[in-house]
Amino acid sequence: MSEQTLVDVQDLVIEFDTPKGRVRVVDGVSFSVSPGEVLGILGESGSGKTMSTQAILGLIGGYPGVMGGQINLNDQGVTYELLKDLPSFISERRGQPEKNERAWRKHRYAQMKKLWGRAITSIFQNPRRSLDPLMTVGQQVKESIQARESHKDALERLNDQAQTEEALEWLAKVQMVDPARVYHSYPHELSGGMCQRAMIAVALACKPSILVADEPTTGLDATVRAQIVHLLQDLIKAEQCAMLYITHDIREMLYLADRVIVMRHGKVLEQVSANDLKEHALERHEYTQVLLDAAGMIGAHDE
Amino acid sequence: MTGQSTGQSTRQSTWYSTWYSTWHSAWKEQPLSFKLSSIIVVLVLCFGVINPFISYDPVLDVELSRRDLAPSWEYWMGTDGQGRSVALRLFKGIEAFFFPGLIAGLFAAFVGGVLGALCGYFGGWIGRSLSAVLELIDTLPRMVFLVLICTIFPPSILLISIISSVLFIPSIATIIRRKVEALGAEDYILAHVAHGFHPLKIISYHILWLQCRALLTRQMIFVFSYVLFIETALSYLGDYGVQEPYPSWGNMVAQSRISAVAWPWALPALAIIITIAALLAFGDGIARREEEVKR
Ligand SMILES: Nc1ncnc2c1ncn2[C@@H]1O[C@H](COP(=O)(O)OP(=O)(O)OP(=O)(O)O)[C@@H](O)[C@H]1O
Ligand SMILES: [Mg+2]
Repeated sequence: MSEQTLVDVQDLVIEFDTPKGRVRVVDGVSFSVSPGEVLGILGESGSGKTMSTQAILGLIGGYPGVMGGQINLNDQGVTYELLKDLPSFISERRGQPEKNERAWRKHRYAQMKKLWGRAITSIFQNPRRSLDPLMTVGQQVKESIQARESHKDALERLNDQAQTEEALEWLAKVQMVDPARVYHSYPHELSGGMCQRAMIAVALACKPSILVADEPTTGLDATVRAQIVHLLQDLIKAEQCAMLYITHDIREMLYLADRVIVMRHGKVLEQVSANDLKEHALERHEYTQVLLDAAGMIGAHDE
Repeated sequence: MTGQSTGQSTRQSTWYSTWYSTWHSAWKEQPLSFKLSSIIVVLVLCFGVINPFISYDPVLDVELSRRDLAPSWEYWMGTDGQGRSVALRLFKGIEAFFFPGLIAGLFAAFVGGVLGALCGYFGGWIGRSLSAVLELIDTLPRMVFLVLICTIFPPSILLISIISSVLFIPSIATIIRRKVEALGAEDYILAHVAHGFHPLKIISYHILWLQCRALLTRQMIFVFSYVLFIETALSYLGDYGVQEPYPSWGNMVAQSRISAVAWPWALPALAIIITIAALLAFGDGIARREEEVKR
């Protein structure tokens, strides 16, 4: 892994036990993200997009879960090899590899506690369900600021007043109409679009070097979607934050992403620059063409 | 003007202000039964707290010349078979269950909440064996167990309340464990983890305090009313509870069986029924309101 990559994933394998037996939901996925870059992940429902990114985030608690591969995360010049010790937690049982999930979780927590929030964080698909329903929006933004400050020396930390002011600033940065009012609102008092803005504020207030955005616009109406996409674009640039952007929507993808990977059935079909996807649609993988066709985008440039 | 608006925006929402707003919105929207029950609960609370400050000598209060009087300005609820003021004895009778019930409720809610959260969050063999022990305790019939304890040890209301709170810990822990397990899959708890919050903060603040406080309050109230029930039952039966001449709602009912008129009997019995019903309705109202806020 070079100094220039932030996240590097190699041959990631994720399996789950179901009543019908072991299923492999992510099968040898590889990709990498450089600082400040936006990598898009495109693919149909169930293709393993969420699972791949949650593996990087260290959030998969299922059993057996992540079973192989490498994930390297670069945080301020230090490289963390997240899956390096994974094989020592896997043993053979009745011909099937089994993982000691408890020990693995403990081990993973020891690594991830330094990285969560600071190096990597996430926003989720359903903005209403990803905000705590019993806390005001302002409190939630402030909590991420607190979590961020708790990594610093006691002398350098912001005091309570400054944290509150910063939380208000964040609400203004995500273009909330009335930040002072929203600060004291509960999520159920806000619209879906406002909730997603709040969630973006909460996530970016951690000052991560990479943000995972898992379908942040699904379930919002068209005008609000466009606003959220523009907002993300601007904030990511301003904060010099890289982003892993997952979506079904090719148009959003072309607008935001620098590079795109196309996934299906847990495999990466191809990796292209957004430009190539736009300009040379007919040279793409068969399945990518199907996706482009479905969005009515094929032929516009190639004919 | 500007100073005022920043003052507004920097206002902290503290635990009592969120508690107050929960209660206040519950007050506005709840049915009449909730309003009535909360008035009664507040009254019982106030009476219970001021009880130790008001001295009462049950022996000096005996005055056979004024026995079985009807309610009047001097004796609001009349007098009993020994000429003692029923109103005053009802009031002092609260002391018999109030602090034991409060202690039992707080203890059961605290220990049950912590155990349940630990079992739910960490799972594994510790969680499983703890759940097994708790389920074992849960199968004991509570009343039988209490009477058994009373025959082995010198009975006191403190002992009774501690035993009954221990008997409630398993069911509270199980409720909390289920809740915590369900919450572990919620997006916002995952988001808290991803944002780098400390796991202890997530368990104690986001899960136990924010999500389970209504459930725990309700269980606490339930334990409190159970102690009330046990105390009055034991005092009524006579051998283990509060002994004459000291008043308890239970022994007041028992005493007035030998009274010549009806109301001294009816009043403590009504007090018992109304208080227990009000406590349970109040707990339900608070819990229901919090469920609605979440949706
Ligand atoms: N705990 C689990 N046990 C078994 N299978 C699972 C589990 N979690 C996810 N899967 C399977 O993993 C596959 C990939 O899921 P994933 O959530 O990554 O899809 P996705 O690409 O994000 O889809 P979507 O676009 O709908 O969000 C799905 O087929 C799903 O059924
Ligand atoms: Mg998904």
